[in-house]
Amino acid sequence: MILFLRLWIWFSFRQLYAHRWRALAVLLGIGLGAAVFTSVRLSIDASLHSFTQSMEAVAGKADLTVVQPGGRVPEKLITELLRIPSIKTASPILATYVHTKSDAEKPFLLIGLDPILDRSLRSWQVTESKTPVDTWIDLMAEPGTLFLSQKLIKRLDLTDSSSIVELEYFDRSSSFKILGGLSTQGLALADAGYVAITDISTMQEFTELGGVVDRIDLLLKANATAKDIEHIRAILPAGLILAQPSEAKESGRMMIEAYRLNLSVLSFVSLFVGMFLVYSLVSLNATSRRHELAILRSLGASSQVLFLLFIAEGAFFGIVGWLVAIPISSFMVQKLLTSVSATITHLFVRVNVDGLKLDPWEMLLSFAVTVFISVLAAYQPAREAVKVPPKEAFLMQEGSLTDKKPVSFLALVGFLLIAIVLPLPKMPGASNVPFIGYIATFFLFAGFSLLSPWFLSIMGTYLPNVLKHVGGQPAYLGSRYMRDAGSRIAISVGALITAMALFVALVIMVHSFRNTVETWVNQSISGDVFLQTEMANTNQYRDPLPKSLIEQLKSMRDRIELLPYRRIFLNKGDVRYLFEAIDFGTFSKHGKLLFLEGDSQEIMPRLVRGEGVIVSEVMANQLGLRIGENFQAKIGNTNLDLPILGIYRDYRTQGGVIHYSLKHYQQLSGDRTWTGTRVFLLNNNLSPLPLSSEEAHKDQIIAQLYRIARQNRGVDVTIGSDLRREILRIFDETFAITTVLLLIALFVAALGITTTLTVLVLERTHELNTLLAVGASFKQIRAMIVWEAILMVTAGEGLGAACGFILSNLLVYVINRQSFGWTFLYSVDWYSLLASLPLILTTALLAAIPASRMAFHQSPATLLRER
Amino acid sequence: MTTNNGDPLVIAEGLTRIYSMGATQVTGIKDIAFKINDGELVVLKGNSGSGKSTLLALLAGLDQPSRGRLMVADQDLQKASQADLILYRREVVGVIFQSFNLLPTLSVLENVCLPALLAGRKFSEVRAKAMDLIEWLNLKPRYNHRPAQLSGGEMQRTAIARSLINDPKIILADEPTGNLDSRNGQIVIELLSELNRNASRTVIFATHSTLADPYATSQICLKDGTITETCEV
Repeated sequence: MILFLRLWIWFSFRQLYAHRWRALAVLLGIGLGAAVFTSVRLSIDASLHSFTQSMEAVAGKADLTVVQPGGRVPEKLITELLRIPSIKTASPILATYVHTKSDAEKPFLLIGLDPILDRSLRSWQVTESKTPVDTWIDLMAEPGTLFLSQKLIKRLDLTDSSSIVELEYFDRSSSFKILGGLSTQGLALADAGYVAITDISTMQEFTELGGVVDRIDLLLKANATAKDIEHIRAILPAGLILAQPSEAKESGRMMIEAYRLNLSVLSFVSLFVGMFLVYSLVSLNATSRRHELAILRSLGASSQVLFLLFIAEGAFFGIVGWLVAIPISSFMVQKLLTSVSATITHLFVRVNVDGLKLDPWEMLLSFAVTVFISVLAAYQPAREAVKVPPKEAFLMQEGSLTDKKPVSFLALVGFLLIAIVLPLPKMPGASNVPFIGYIATFFLFAGFSLLSPWFLSIMGTYLPNVLKHVGGQPAYLGSRYMRDAGSRIAISVGALITAMALFVALVIMVHSFRNTVETWVNQSISGDVFLQTEMANTNQYRDPLPKSLIEQLKSMRDRIELLPYRRIFLNKGDVRYLFEAIDFGTFSKHGKLLFLEGDSQEIMPRLVRGEGVIVSEVMANQLGLRIGENFQAKIGNTNLDLPILGIYRDYRTQGGVIHYSLKHYQQLSGDRTWTGTRVFLLNNNLSPLPLSSEEAHKDQIIAQLYRIARQNRGVDVTIGSDLRREILRIFDETFAITTVLLLIALFVAALGITTTLTVLVLERTHELNTLLAVGASFKQIRAMIVWEAILMVTAGEGLGAACGFILSNLLVYVINRQSFGWTFLYSVDWYSLLASLPLILTTALLAAIPASRMAFHQSPATLLRER
Repeated sequence: MTTNNGDPLVIAEGLTRIYSMGATQVTGIKDIAFKINDGELVVLKGNSGSGKSTLLALLAGLDQPSRGRLMVADQDLQKASQADLILYRREVVGVIFQSFNLLPTLSVLENVCLPALLAGRKFSEVRAKAMDLIEWLNLKPRYNHRPAQLSGGEMQRTAIARSLINDPKIILADEPTGNLDSRNGQIVIELLSELNRNASRTVIFATHSTLADPYATSQICLKDGTITETCEV
């Protein structure tokens, strides 16, 4: 081992040190790739950890939970449940998000519970030295009291005890006395530690929900059987169900995991591009030191030793590259943490991340992946190195630079890999198979990369005579070199192909997505003003609009048209979705749905008549629903069993959606409440106002709506155009992370071009000086190097663009559908693509500057005298 | 001196090496037969393309014959496995190349120690012997210099020291003076001659110059891949 290490230091490390700028470029590339991969995973893990911890803290040890979908559970059921022998305890929970008057932007979770009934299910302790019993008695004995978590105390700038805090919820506010602080464990970990606990009676009084609770959590006795569970289910009143406490957690966790997988794959591309850099440099080292390898063989080194020397070189880049990644990650992760958790909250479920937890397993994974990638990159050059015959030690000159790889064979394999991928987007069921999209992506990268030697060879064969007329002899010689340089150039071109393909694919995907979302927003999220209860989404749409508000709105019907809706979160197995009953008659006057399947002209009238439901694309894909099938759900006491009339595009990201007629839902259920309403402003002729005119009249109506909302506290008013703009802003913010990752991948690829060009110039200094000796000028030779750079980058951009177009189809029709359940209307942003190509070309040409400077760093006379 | 069982150190019979260059077959050497006793200084003579380097490569265990028999120090090199050849190159022969073939990233001392380290010996054990060789070859002031900092003569003397570190039975030299001026070339010839006379090492010397003629105990003349009676150089 020590011998090998000594040999590696003498032979490999000193060579790397002698050409340290090349090695540093590769280390930077690997470091960036590893940093991106690590920071993305750490950021999302922090969100996942926060979410899971919160859900587990709230769920506690409950085996089952009694809930009413879309409603609340009567409190009196607790007594009945406690009489059942198999039930150890039944604990009611009433929880909602509230805020202080001074800090309305930062709501926190207030949990109402019965401390005695809950004692076996959830743990919580106070910081004061009191027995649990004393703590419970304090909470129960004095109404309007609570315990706050330490983070909340700090954020609200309160002392532990005797402070009073005024909390607001919906249209209610109340003062609470703080009895003390919670220790940071158990229930106090919910919602990233921003939580308060109060007695359930206090909670019911505050929320004016006397006699009902959100759910009743059950802890069963150890000997409870499936039969006992059935018995419990049987005694539940109509409309109530027995659910797994982990359902909401699993549903949210799945969504975050899908997002993590996508972002991990994207961040992995930077590392993948870095792999090309390692391959390129190790391969160049192996080829240019061929004679030294023969010498080593002639002196008694075995082929295994030579193989391991280059494998160790790969491992060196991996290990040191990962170490380089540490400071870069530390910087990146701070920036990513905020944006990633905000994206997850906007798109999927609420997460509240306060800080990063350094998971040793994630660090180990990142280290292992980085080193593995680098060693893998070094494998092929190491295999080539051992093929050097020892008798080449007798040769006077360096080993041949001509590429022995069969270019046509590589191209054939490349075409084959691409051919396998091509039909994928059109194949039904392809998106249902996990990972197929990602594997296809890497097949595509590999396929196009394998085409690059052949493509360069074609360029080198047919272009020289053409370019001679454009750029003279430098262009001719530069393009001829493309033909002969073979895989030495092809590797770096492969890196550029990968980065370029990703760039093109993501530009197309993001443009398609944004276009479709913008169309959806403008057509489906129509409305001049939106009204719903404060924090409605956060509080799961449990609280309807006040009746008084609805009456006031109805009185304005000569000036406004209302589009009310009722929203209820439901579960089908692990899949959480939104049931929305809406007035389709009014909707069809002001908006449109983007149907994927089914004819809008035929479906809308049937929806108005309540003949069926429509489901969002996400929901259809998650649950495998099709038009014509019946959709069944139980909402309270109402059983729904209706045919699916159509599948439409919906980009609300917190799960799938199903729509039904509000009128018919109200008739079936007797539930006449509204979760919210859209408002369309009318002109005096009772037809919708053109946006460009009657501004003052519009402002007057809006002002009146605000007044009504203020009179009914706890109602949010949002201007429609602001809402639509906000949706698009969140969309743009979401893809900001993607854009950063993409730019890093492009930078790493550019590093690869710089390294390769520099090395190839240094390898050819004898040849370049010979050109000088026969009459070429310095300018001509530098021009030749620039032409080589142009051709390399053109090959990379050309093949990369072709790859990118195919990849964009994969992203839109397979990967997005597979990960998130949605597709979008494919459209190409030609302007952005065409505008960016010259920029990329210019960047790569800048990379040629170091190479052309290196060409004559020694006197030509010295180099030509002796080799 | 002969080998343990009394045979010559090197026996070649019907030795042939044919190379395939695509569709063409090129004969390096054909039906060569000779014997070399232990302790001899043999000069291989012939012009470029005569087969000298091919023969040396076979003797060095860097290549294997296509046909024939080649026994060196009781080892049949025609039938030897790759593992056998590695051991052979470490223990039986020391090679000196025309282009010196020093590793550019290693110092003089490290280049000299390298064959011993490859043979599994510890650096601390080998270092002293390497320094002795370096001193004997008047290289002591340069022991930690890299090849790029040495003259041609110094590089060749380093190569000689490297070839001796494992106490090989045979020293093979391929045009060792080819890249040296006449003064340094003479020094190298005298060193090799000294090794042969005083240390009783067998030296086989490929050259197309006459510098080594006064020191040779025998000559093998090659022309167009076969042995000839007279040497035309």
